[in-house]
Amino acid sequence: MHRLKWLLVPLAALLFASAYAEKLTFVLDVAENRSDEGQAIVAQLQAIGIDASLRIWQSTVLKEEMIAGNRTASATDWGSAYFDPFDLAIPKLRTKDRGNYSFYSSDVVDEAFRVASTSIDDSARAAAYLTAQRQILADAPLAFGYVLQNIEASSDSVHGWEPAADNSENFHLTTVDGSDTLVIGLRTNALVTLDPAMYRDRDNEAFLRNIFDALTIPTADGKVQPHLATAWRVIDPLTYEFDLRPDVTFSNGEVLDADDVVFTFDRILTEGGIDGASSPRAGLLGPISHAEKVDANTVRLVYKNTFPQELVLQALTHFQIVPKDYITEVGVATFTAAPIGSGPFVYARGALDAQVVIEANQTHWNGAPKLKAVVWQMMPEASTRIASLLAGEVQIIQAVPPDLVERLSSVPGVSVHTALGTRAYQIELNNSTAPFNDTRVRQAINYAIDWDSILTNIYRGYADRLATPFLPSGFGYAQDLAPYPYDPAKAKELLKQAGYDTN
Amino acid sequence: MRLTKLLERVLSAIPVAIGVAVLAFMFLRFLPGDPVEIMLGETQVTQQQIDSLRNQLNLDKPLITQLALFLAGVLRGDLGVSFVKNAPVVKLIADTLPATIELTMATVLVAILIALPVGIISALRAGSIVDRSVLSGALVGVSMPAFWFGLLLILLFAVELKLFPTSGRIAATMVVDRTTGFMLIDTLLAKDLRAFGVALKHLVLPAITLGVVFAAVLARVIRASMLEVLSKDFVTTARAKGLREWSVIIKHALRNALIPALTVTGLQFGELLGGNMIVETIFAWPGLGRLVVSSIFARDYVVVQAAVMLYALTYVAANLVVDALYTLLNPRISL
Repeated sequence: MHRLKWLLVPLAALLFASAYAEKLTFVLDVAENRSDEGQAIVAQLQAIGIDASLRIWQSTVLKEEMIAGNRTASATDWGSAYFDPFDLAIPKLRTKDRGNYSFYSSDVVDEAFRVASTSIDDSARAAAYLTAQRQILADAPLAFGYVLQNIEASSDSVHGWEPAADNSENFHLTTVDGSDTLVIGLRTNALVTLDPAMYRDRDNEAFLRNIFDALTIPTADGKVQPHLATAWRVIDPLTYEFDLRPDVTFSNGEVLDADDVVFTFDRILTEGGIDGASSPRAGLLGPISHAEKVDANTVRLVYKNTFPQELVLQALTHFQIVPKDYITEVGVATFTAAPIGSGPFVYARGALDAQVVIEANQTHWNGAPKLKAVVWQMMPEASTRIASLLAGEVQIIQAVPPDLVERLSSVPGVSVHTALGTRAYQIELNNSTAPFNDTRVRQAINYAIDWDSILTNIYRGYADRLATPFLPSGFGYAQDLAPYPYDPAKAKELLKQAGYDTN
Repeated sequence: MRLTKLLERVLSAIPVAIGVAVLAFMFLRFLPGDPVEIMLGETQVTQQQIDSLRNQLNLDKPLITQLALFLAGVLRGDLGVSFVKNAPVVKLIADTLPATIELTMATVLVAILIALPVGIISALRAGSIVDRSVLSGALVGVSMPAFWFGLLLILLFAVELKLFPTSGRIAATMVVDRTTGFMLIDTLLAKDLRAFGVALKHLVLPAITLGVVFAAVLARVIRASMLEVLSKDFVTTARAKGLREWSVIIKHALRNALIPALTVTGLQFGELLGGNMIVETIFAWPGLGRLVVSSIFARDYVVVQAAVMLYALTYVAANLVVDALYTLLNPRISL
């Protein structure tokens, strides 16, 4: 008994010391594709006395864990279908929104987002987004990261093609020296469907945009331009009116008019509207009520709440117009197997998990494409895509990994092209519990990560630093808002203020 | 007698398939990840849209109801409709299975062509330099990652030497009508010999990638069982009768030595028919492996359940065929 007393003294001292100041301790969760980056970040955090460790997950599992609030710091990325923060920053950071895995909540930001997603006054929207960005930067709900560029490569025999920010592949004006056929190696494992109402992913959209037209079309850098709609006007705050191009026919000769446009939106907006199944695309349209025909060449979109014109036009780029008479006559199954559109190319044949072939639409309203055919080859493995380009089997490949760019650029006859990306990459911090319910700790993490070195060394410079999850290509981006600099001393100071030991 | 035994074995596969189906169903549901969440992607979605989709896919029903619905479907021969692709699972599997079977056949052929002579020679020259290099070669073959080996073959034979195409089943610009789904058969049915040749060339590199690894296993099995058989009395007797050496080896020794090799081949065949996700991905081979793995990632339960059932049945069938072949090789073995 007497001897045990001596043991109690150091034990008490240890307990006292640890209660007084302990190291900031947490697990950084990353999906398998970002494990290199995760290791670099953990090493940087450890260097300033943070007891960080890394855990690697399958992304779907990690996402579910985050939504359940079981994780404290997780690397995430989120893509944007609009060139507007509407479907990136808003779902990520609005209180209780679908993508808000950090459980961040700010009245200032919520109000700014409300204005930005409902006001029909562009300057009010821009001002609201500016307020939101400033507040988000100060609150540091996330460790803000970067946006990756789209890296694609082509044979030098290809002309009139460039990669697009939204992964579109526009071949209307493309030519290939010595051939009337172009082969592109896609990054995807398989296309999902040929029905423009039944998919969600980019790769499918990139393909379908070649056989269907939409009311508006994005340029490679995301500006909306007239396409099947030649002009539009605001009828009242809830109603937009569109004039349709009068000379458009589908490739089976059927005239494309207001009935087809209304039919296209009806089948997407009606629950179970596609042979009992619902379209997963309805959410992309915003708070829409319905589409209505005014006359053969005029349609109106009616909204339930006010929705900014820029967002309406952005949304419309994603909705390919389908032929009402053909679908009504042959049914959804036949249409899905043999789709008819009004786009620059006509679907010829193929298998969605192997290769699909499209051929020039000689009667396209905007002129026939110069190529006779385009073959879309599914090539999910990046090394195979590159080998195939080098072997001359394909002329364009998607998604070149940054670490293989150097090897490819040194090969004569092949060029690497880049476009702005539309995905924001960050580390989501759980704002609802310790340690990240303390703004100082979140700011400290932002100062403690040397993103520039990560972007240079791991992503070989094919990534751009972000101050917040607002993308430079999006509406209302604050050009002059500087990201948190790498400042380990400042990070340590903030951690000390928050009561952590940093030695 | 034999026929009833065979029928018995076939019928016994049914409870196995159902048991596996129930297990697959349960395991998938325990796997974290929500198919609806994945399907809707990163769009702005209302809770009502999420609920409605969940309802359509029956995912809002209690687990036991979902299981009952699934089993009722299986008994009716209806395996369901893929969540993601909105197409009947039977069609998705029927579309991808021929590509996998074709690759499997070619793989087994490559493996046998390598393993049989190598295994026999190595047994006949046991302990020699040839034998030892075969054994170490086999070790390398077994240890080699298919991913690495496949890419190596592509870089050497497709990019540098341009002898074979890098990937796919047929040239991008060739049109082959799909009748059976087997590219070699379809090109022949279309009487297009050039396309047949091209399809054959596409088959070479992936078949070698998978075949070499399998050959390494098989060669060791053949070597070991040949060694055992060669020391048996009946081989000595055959030699004493003055039979030619090749006749002793092929007719007397090999026939008996093949039984273990057949077992290994049968099991491997079953495994290969599941599709090899890695090799199918590297060679952009549109087979079952890629379908199943992408369905697992998308939590497309319906597809994975059906595939797991198919796997179980394939194994049962492969075993049955192997057992039947035993009886041919050795009449003393019965089913």
